[in-house]
Amino acid sequence: MIDPLIAANIALDKAKKLGATYADFRWVEIRNESLSYSDGAPEEVSHSVDKGFGVRVIIDGAWGFCSSADINEKEINRVTEKAVEIGKASALLQKIPVKLAPNPVAVDTYITSIKINPFDIPLTEKISFLSHLDGLMGKYEGISSHSAFLDFRRIDKYFFDNAGSAIQQTIFQTGSGISVTAMKSHRDRVTRSFPANEGQFETRGYELLDDIDFETNIPIISEQAAALLDADSCPQKTCDIVLDSSHMSLLIHESIGHPLELDRVFGVERNFSGTSFATPDKLDKLHYGSSIINVTADATAPHGLGSFGYDDEGVKAAPAALIEDGVLVNYLSSRETAARIGKLSTGAARADGWGNVPIVRMTNTNLAAGNSSFDDLISGIDDGIYMETTSSWSIDDTRENFTFGCEMGREIKGGKLGKLIKNPIYSGQTVPFWNSCDAIGDKSLWKLWGTPNCGKGQPAQNGRVGQGASPARFRNVKVGE
Amino acid sequence: MPDILDLFDKSLQKSRADQTELVCESEEFYLTRFAENTINGNIGRSDHTVWCRAIIGKKIGIAKTNILSQESIEKLIDTAVEICSEQQEDPKFQSLVKSASAGESHGFFPSTANYSAHQRAAAIQTIIDIAQQSDLDTSGMFQTSQTMLTVANSLGTRNQGKATEARLSITLSGDTDRAGFAQAYSRDVGTIDFVDIANRAINKAARTKPPVSLDPGQYTVILDPEAVADFLLFLGFLGFGGKGMVSHRSFMADKIGEKIMSDNVTIVEAPENPVMSYIPFDYEGVPRQRVVIVENGIARGVVYDSYYAAQAGTESTGNALAPDNSFGPYPKAMVMNPGEQSLDDIIKSTARAIHITHFWYLNFVNPMRTLVTGTTRDGTFLIEDGRVVSPVTDMRIMQSMLESYGNVEAVSSDRRLVYKYGVLMYVPAMRISNFNFVSSE
Repeated sequence: MIDPLIAANIALDKAKKLGATYADFRWVEIRNESLSYSDGAPEEVSHSVDKGFGVRVIIDGAWGFCSSADINEKEINRVTEKAVEIGKASALLQKIPVKLAPNPVAVDTYITSIKINPFDIPLTEKISFLSHLDGLMGKYEGISSHSAFLDFRRIDKYFFDNAGSAIQQTIFQTGSGISVTAMKSHRDRVTRSFPANEGQFETRGYELLDDIDFETNIPIISEQAAALLDADSCPQKTCDIVLDSSHMSLLIHESIGHPLELDRVFGVERNFSGTSFATPDKLDKLHYGSSIINVTADATAPHGLGSFGYDDEGVKAAPAALIEDGVLVNYLSSRETAARIGKLSTGAARADGWGNVPIVRMTNTNLAAGNSSFDDLISGIDDGIYMETTSSWSIDDTRENFTFGCEMGREIKGGKLGKLIKNPIYSGQTVPFWNSCDAIGDKSLWKLWGTPNCGKGQPAQNGRVGQGASPARFRNVKVGE
Repeated sequence: MPDILDLFDKSLQKSRADQTELVCESEEFYLTRFAENTINGNIGRSDHTVWCRAIIGKKIGIAKTNILSQESIEKLIDTAVEICSEQQEDPKFQSLVKSASAGESHGFFPSTANYSAHQRAAAIQTIIDIAQQSDLDTSGMFQTSQTMLTVANSLGTRNQGKATEARLSITLSGDTDRAGFAQAYSRDVGTIDFVDIANRAINKAARTKPPVSLDPGQYTVILDPEAVADFLLFLGFLGFGGKGMVSHRSFMADKIGEKIMSDNVTIVEAPENPVMSYIPFDYEGVPRQRVVIVENGIARGVVYDSYYAAQAGTESTGNALAPDNSFGPYPKAMVMNPGEQSLDDIIKSTARAIHITHFWYLNFVNPMRTLVTGTTRDGTFLIEDGRVVSPVTDMRIMQSMLESYGNVEAVSSDRRLVYKYGVLMYVPAMRISNFNFVSSE
């Protein structure tokens, strides 16, 4: 097997000889283990290895990229030649040469800090863990189906560019979650999940499982699911709402993270996932939210699913303020997009594996904690709804008009939590909605959630990102269908 | 590339499992992406994905790699067998499948396989030139790729086939809210008419009047084929697969033989249809079958892989997905029967309706009711007295898909092939009554 450095040198030398003014070489190996268990039987136990390299060039002022799973000298030369050929085709339509924001050369290594390597744990132990959870969930009357999963990933990647950067990273990601379904009839079912609708994912090792209290929460969500079958549906009205931390993660992801991806802002996603209302003319002017809204993109956040040492253009991870005191101050960006607004990259160029080009992605998009206790959030509402755990989400192609739903609601009357509400949903416009936020939970309620399946790009790329938040309160929100 | 069937034959002989299945999907993939009249992403990728499913008793182990060599595949089998040995039994599993030869694949075109980056750029330039005559900017993507699927198992199944794909999707946009969308899909890139695609999108985007904002409420709608496909895709995921059937989560469960849609709706999984030209077998090597799903509004059947077919007491229809999926089978080649009127004639015979090009970000609000929300996008128009009177500001829908397929007033005679998320749909336009809109943007 060829060494990554030798492979990179072959590609970068070849690219230079062929006239590329910029070239980078990425080598990525992803090892993944997925296990799921459902209704008394294993559903999936699988192991995968995915390995390959990609060569990205700028030639005649335009981008070219090619990649392959076959890592040998002949293939590296072929792929590099192809990347240059593709770049020359891009140049046929290029009116302004690609310009990159400056970035210091880095020679470095990064590894996720973990306590227990999940790949050192025998499969039997993992299957037994899921079987145990499945057994616990199966004990509850009224629960008709239940499932649990584990997901472990190790990503080894190397980045080299023709400026001299040489970066080696090893990133571990662990995820787990459960869900239970109560059923009155085949067409009348309610599902509750824990700790979130897609479980929880972090850049951690097997020790994550010690911090997810499944045993305490299985009876809670089982009883909630059964009770929700007979709960009232969400009323149609305008009222105040409090959203739990896990659902705030979705809200931040869809209505702050995506709109602030600078490639989307420039129209790169127009044909697929859309554009953004948050155009550069609004920078430093737009009151995106109320003055208590402070949002940071932070790939250094401990355990965040979007945490790493360097992005896939070799930009070192660092916190970057996106919204300060409610005002839009920056974007998630790559070197190319940042240059277009005269800024440095915020280190958000990320590729799905070796066979895709880096595009602007979220890292960890974190809403700073406020100073309210949970009781404060609820007690400040006379008539409203508390909503917990995402179940449904949809936002328009400019990221302004959304409808989101949750698995469970609780009526709020006179500052107190009341009866359960089934399928609570709410709708809003991004900027007015965030400006209606008048209270955010304190640090004790703040949690960094992982989203393992963010889709973007053509060809479609999957991104793993994080959002940190406390519960928060919003005024005068339209709820119900 | 090595002879994959030969590699598989040699490797299967060495497996220690009771039953062993090997699957390889090889891909040569090229995609050019463009926006602001410029190519901003242009990629090539050569990859193989090899799966091994090993069975010991009723224990199943699955392993996957993208390293294609004799040594790697033998190691892959060992890994799957190791997983098996630590796995628990799945009492619902019966057996791998012994399949006959699936026959020739008719979906491979050298014209697509050999299409170059320069040819893609030239085609995109053609569209840009046409769009700029109407003061419109062009964005989109143009993919040309080839795939080869190989399946072999220890019961004697041996199938290999290949296909090409050419996909073009464009959005033309103007300086206000004007936008128009058009797409094309073909196995043979030579059949894609770039001028026609550009003109279709221009026809949506180049309207001169400012959009009107309509109040939320119920309207009659005319859905372009792409919008029909948006709904059909979700119906396929939710209701037309064997997993939902055996778990009673499908709206088809307990409804076979009953009327669930309008009389003028017939949906068939038709992989043999010439416009589909699918690789003629699935990821278990089972020949893809024609399956009538809905006939004149009456529920007839769903698609199966071998695992869920065994539970339902039937045969696989050749709809297995890759071995490591847990979603279960769903249709991948749906054809809807055409009607008798052209789309133009349907519009001319419509008193008042909202004409929708396609939807964006549909998602379930209540899967049991097939209730979805999402927004209209890239060309929404008000039809009055048989003609387009104005563009409409995009609107958010809140609609039961099943109910909408039960309110179909007219089906167009002209159909288009639409690709979404790995599913091909050959579908007409439809006029549907009582369609619910909940807000305007």
